[in-house]
Amino acid sequence: MIDFDEELKKFHPSLEVEDVGEAIYNQDLTDMADLIVGMLKETDNNRKKSASNDQQ
Amino acid sequence: MICYNCGCELSEHDYCTGCGADVAQYKKVMFISNRFYNEGLEMAKVRDLSGAVGSLRQCLKFNKNNIEARNLLGLVYFEMGEVVAALSEWVISTNIRDKKNLAQDYIDMIQSNPSKLETINKTIKGYNEALRHCGMDSYDLAIIKLKNVLSLNPNFIRARQLLALLYVNEEKWAEAKTQLVKCAAIDTGNTLTMRYRMEVDEMLTPVDGDGGHRRKKKEKSDTITYKSGNEIIIQPADTRSSSGLGVILNLFLGVCIGIAAAWFIIMPARVGIASTEAEARLREVNEQLDARTAQAEDLKSQLETALDQTRQMEENLATYEEHSGSMSSSYALIQAAATYLGSQEGDDLSSIADYLDDVDVSDLGQDSSEAPLKLYNLLMEMAGPSMATQFYDAGYEAYNTGDYEVAIENLERAYQYDPSNGDALYYLAQSYNHSGDETHAVQMYRKVVDEFPDTEKAVKSQGYLEQLTGSAD
Repeated sequence: MIDFDEELKKFHPSLEVEDVGEAIYNQDLTDMADLIVGMLKETDNNRKKSASNDQQ
Repeated sequence: MICYNCGCELSEHDYCTGCGADVAQYKKVMFISNRFYNEGLEMAKVRDLSGAVGSLRQCLKFNKNNIEARNLLGLVYFEMGEVVAALSEWVISTNIRDKKNLAQDYIDMIQSNPSKLETINKTIKGYNEALRHCGMDSYDLAIIKLKNVLSLNPNFIRARQLLALLYVNEEKWAEAKTQLVKCAAIDTGNTLTMRYRMEVDEMLTPVDGDGGHRRKKKEKSDTITYKSGNEIIIQPADTRSSSGLGVILNLFLGVCIGIAAAWFIIMPARVGIASTEAEARLREVNEQLDARTAQAEDLKSQLETALDQTRQMEENLATYEEHSGSMSSSYALIQAAATYLGSQEGDDLSSIADYLDDVDVSDLGQDSSEAPLKLYNLLMEMAGPSMATQFYDAGYEAYNTGDYEVAIENLERAYQYDPSNGDALYYLAQSYNHSGDETHAVQMYRKVVDEFPDTEKAVKSQGYLEQLTGSAD
């Protein structure tokens, strides 16, 4: 049975055309590729740091 | 696919041939992103817009730079009526790649039509207003607002779903179903639409059997009532099979009830209608009859008037005819008098005589005035002797010459104007006698004998009279 009040809570106000800029600005554009690249770069940096420590 | 580190084109190897960076995980992420894009594209092709949104968003979570996926996501949003979301995706897309990007065309298409953009914004505001009405429990106003929004933007899925929910709340199941069917036509895979529709279908489906659907209010009712559009549909909850005898009994009862209804309800009504019609017809005929009678009376009075006028005219004509003789006599008398007065010593006596011939003395006495008769007598006194002498002379001369016809004519007039002229009468008798008109001759001889006795003319006349009478005998 549909609970009207609960269902009504699922509907949210829609952004108006004037709010497009704000919506774009607030959008989190971080993707999985960013995370992977970050991880890879961090791993690579860690390797370089450990290698220099070994040389010292 | 390019290397995230140096931008070189990647090969089949798990490292970049340009910088030597490890791209194995990166390539997997790209592959997963592309797989989600393909999935989203397939869903969009079959109008599973919600599924497509989900897949494309997943795609972009793995690779935000997937321009095709972002453009397609914007297109799907636009189709669902979410114009702001669509514009957001397209703007981001153009920021990532500003050239040869389909998103720019979409943006230009919307921006080039300000009225369309205004309409879209109006629908969004209307939807938000409807939501506010819902928050204030003004569901009727919210429904009105949403209907207005959907008339401007029929593909606005969220607005249509909210309208369906409001209809469900008001137990307008048919209306809710209509909206949900339209939602499903736009977005086939929307789970919210499906859930609402299941509920609505359940409420619209009649209950039967133990494992039937919930129909709390109608379980013990013999009928099922629900609304479809503006119609209330009532149908029996269950149908019982009847035995043959029961069917016959029911049929018999039905026929009896029908006959009774016809006898007690329909027949009196028909009789009443027929009598009313007959009365109306009778009234109409009576009115026509009265009109005709009045018309006949009018014509009769007109006829009597015409007859009276005819009678009056006949009387006038008779009177005129009576007076016409006296008038002509009077006219002739006046003419004679005028001729006499105009002549010198009565030298135009023949004309006067001609006029006086037309005078009938009996007509002159009919008028109330005695003047015409007096005039006649006066004229006769004045002109009579002269005329008599003239006619006598002419007649006697004609007699002597043997022209008896002229003699008769003149002598008659001489005697007429002077009755004492016995010679005129004697020679008139003679003229008749010599002309062979013995009848008139006898009459004239007798007049001479009677009016001038003891005269030579009377003796001679007596002789001729005896002679003629003897020969006549």
